[in-house]
Amino acid sequence: MVNTVILSYITFVYFVSFFFYLLMMVIGKSTLGRIATYVTLGGFVVHAFAIILRWIESYDLGIGHAPLSNLYESLIFFAWTIILLYLLIEWRTKNKSIGAIATLLAFGAMAYGSYSPTISSRIQPLVPALQSNWLLAHVITSFFGYAAFALAFGLSLMYLIKRLDNPEKQNMFLNLIPRLSILDDLTYQMVVIGFLLLALGIITGAVWAHSAWGSYWTWDPKETWSLITWLVYAALLHARMMRGWRGKRLAIFSIAGFLCVMFTYFGVNYLPGLHSYAQS
Amino acid sequence: MIKSPLDCFFPQIKLQFQKNSAIKKQNFEVLWGLTLYLIQVAFFRCEESGDTGCKWDLFFSLGDMAASKTTNNSNLIWNFFCSVNLTIFLLIILAITSIVGTVIPQQDSAVEFAQRLNPGFFRLFSFLQLFDMYHSIWFRILIGLLALNLIVCSIDRFPAIWKLFKTSPRPDRSKPFENIPPDWSFSVKGNIKDTSTPLHELLDGQFKKIKSKETDKGLYFYGEKGRYSYFGFYLVHLSILFIILGGILGSFFGFEAYVNIPEGDYVNSVRLRAGGAPVKLGFEIRCEKFFVEFYKDGTPKEYRSDITILADGKEALKGNLTVNNPITFRGITFYQSSYGTIPGNKARIGISRQGPNPSDVSITMELRKPVPLPGNDGNIHLADFRPDFMRLGPAVLLVVRPPEGEEKKLWIFRDHDSIRERFPEIFEKFPGLNPAAFEPYFFSLDQMESKNYTGLQVNKDPGVSFIWIGCFMMIVGFFIAFFQSHRGIFVRAQPTKKGIRISVAGRSNKNPVGLERELDKLSQKLRNLFMT
Ligand code: HEM
Repeated sequence: MVNTVILSYITFVYFVSFFFYLLMMVIGKSTLGRIATYVTLGGFVVHAFAIILRWIESYDLGIGHAPLSNLYESLIFFAWTIILLYLLIEWRTKNKSIGAIATLLAFGAMAYGSYSPTISSRIQPLVPALQSNWLLAHVITSFFGYAAFALAFGLSLMYLIKRLDNPEKQNMFLNLIPRLSILDDLTYQMVVIGFLLLALGIITGAVWAHSAWGSYWTWDPKETWSLITWLVYAALLHARMMRGWRGKRLAIFSIAGFLCVMFTYFGVNYLPGLHSYAQS
Repeated sequence: MIKSPLDCFFPQIKLQFQKNSAIKKQNFEVLWGLTLYLIQVAFFRCEESGDTGCKWDLFFSLGDMAASKTTNNSNLIWNFFCSVNLTIFLLIILAITSIVGTVIPQQDSAVEFAQRLNPGFFRLFSFLQLFDMYHSIWFRILIGLLALNLIVCSIDRFPAIWKLFKTSPRPDRSKPFENIPPDWSFSVKGNIKDTSTPLHELLDGQFKKIKSKETDKGLYFYGEKGRYSYFGFYLVHLSILFIILGGILGSFFGFEAYVNIPEGDYVNSVRLRAGGAPVKLGFEIRCEKFFVEFYKDGTPKEYRSDITILADGKEALKGNLTVNNPITFRGITFYQSSYGTIPGNKARIGISRQGPNPSDVSITMELRKPVPLPGNDGNIHLADFRPDFMRLGPAVLLVVRPPEGEEKKLWIFRDHDSIRERFPEIFEKFPGLNPAAFEPYFFSLDQMESKNYTGLQVNKDPGVSFIWIGCFMMIVGFFIAFFQSHRGIFVRAQPTKKGIRISVAGRSNKNPVGLERELDKLSQKLRNLFMT
């Protein structure tokens, strides 16, 4: 299928932009950063095009549905949301320092989807339980939430790296990273956005489960892990808002939160349960 | 006979509880000590990060929201429950303990796991109720503590928030105008008296609670918006209480049940998943027809039941039930959940007679309707239908009544030939299975009629509306809490030698960057108003 071929090329486009972002940080030339942005933007547009193409192809097969229904499609969409949010941040803050991490994460998701032998990229028909607009809303909100947490994770890593900075050394690479307080603030804002979207994702998922199976919450491992993730970030927000936690402690908190996100996404497949992606 | 393995499994746990009450007390003390320790740990001081006070805006940004603490309450327990450290602690503990239930199989699937466990662990796990931990006492206590924490905090904070909500500043203050950027101030010609009406009109359109005051220093205006944003977090916290309440209502007054209805049949009661006596619905539900549709590759595409609900002797509701489109009647909801086939009450039986005058017929027989045998050798009838008898496939129980002598009961299998291949001697060994046991006849089951049935999940959950209201409140609350702020705007018109100097200033409880933008816009508007 054409879309999977295009998507497997996009994987390398993101690797190229990762390379340029990295080069920009090491060498410190702004031209490199500009190239990186254009490459990413180009990849992003073609990426969107390929997703739409896949949607159309599913209709040509007579089993039309939005391309958000199995692990492959979710990984492709996850990478796309990361890049979209990252480009928004770059545009709003005019700073490219987390570009390397964002494109690396997108590259990882795309490569895992396209090249892992255990993941099928075929367009599969939707079984009755998955034919629901609530499910669509659930997947979209959840993955935008995951993407926001991914960027918060990138920012937190940057924070920890920046802390190594030593005013005397004047390390070029570290100089390009924004000030600590800015990283801290951005992390916090990404966490808030992710938290809101994750809540929406859990709610739409509950509505869907309620219409498909009759109960909005069954403590299945995937549900439980998304709740765990939500609780961890809720604790993070209270720690920041009420106790004034900042800096290193918050960065570590946000990294722990992102590990929970990753476990919700992948780790749960190794636990007993019935969530849909576990089977494909 | 034991209905479900759980029936024999959970009483054991209860028993364990009674026996180990001594251990319980000890455990409780340990837990309490640990709790106190963790709370201490949670009392970290804030970390100083070099340069504070930066304003870096992405989509929005937040200032410090912590309102002033009310510390005059000296009640220890009250203070314990209105601490945000307790909140953080409980959130983290809930997160950590929730992991346990995703690793240890729960409820039905726990049985197999529990059998493989060694007795010591089994006792420990069942004592801690780990085989159904999300419904265990300690997990519920944790959630209860969280709810209590929320309620106490809300009450404790309310007076302070209410004061914030109620008070509004005098309009003629000059402090807000200190250190304003030059953009927010400009001079125009004219008389100060003429500025009053246009200023009033402009502010009226955008702000609430407009106040003005004229002093000898000039003309002062105050306006504001977003006062209600103080209650955003109340809405979020209230929503969590709603959700917890919805869960409690559901578990006390709701049920989860199922029922299988053959096509053309009706039922008026359903079986609880938890076991026990069937629950009367108070009305009848009939399955008219059941359909399955498949994709080309064999994946199921749609399950559909056409159902009719009969209440008080009348047809009350008619509809199609599909997955994701349940039907609700009198607070009870029906979900399409499974399907299957059951034998009907007709079968085609082949009767062949060997020997002197052989015959070979195939007749359709109905349940319990006797049919004479061809050679006046008595009659036969069918007494039972099984879709899968002894795991050897469909079978019927054929009863042969000869004119004299005892009747014979024979199970006749549809897959006679393949069974013989797998178990060569089986029919000879067991006369009750031998289709040739009544000589000189040989019986065969040519076809068995089957009927579809639809499997429905039947739930009642009076708490579910609370859940949805709670979810809605939470999202609205989020938006108010994070994206709205209380902004107060000050406008001042001062007489100068050349004319009038107009300045704007403002303050906000959060999102300073948003406030700046708002004031930029306002000063631009004022310029347009007075400079043209
Ligand atoms: C998960 C359940 C939650 C619990 C149990 C909880 C509990 C609490 C408690 C007890 C406080 C008061 C602390 C104090 O006054 O010292 C508090 C404050 C606060 N919570 Fe939550 N909260 C929860 C969820 C949330 C969520 C989802 C948000 C985010 C929108 C949030 C935002 C806040 C804020 C902003 C405050 C400070 C309010 C103020 O200044 O009075 N909480 N929370």
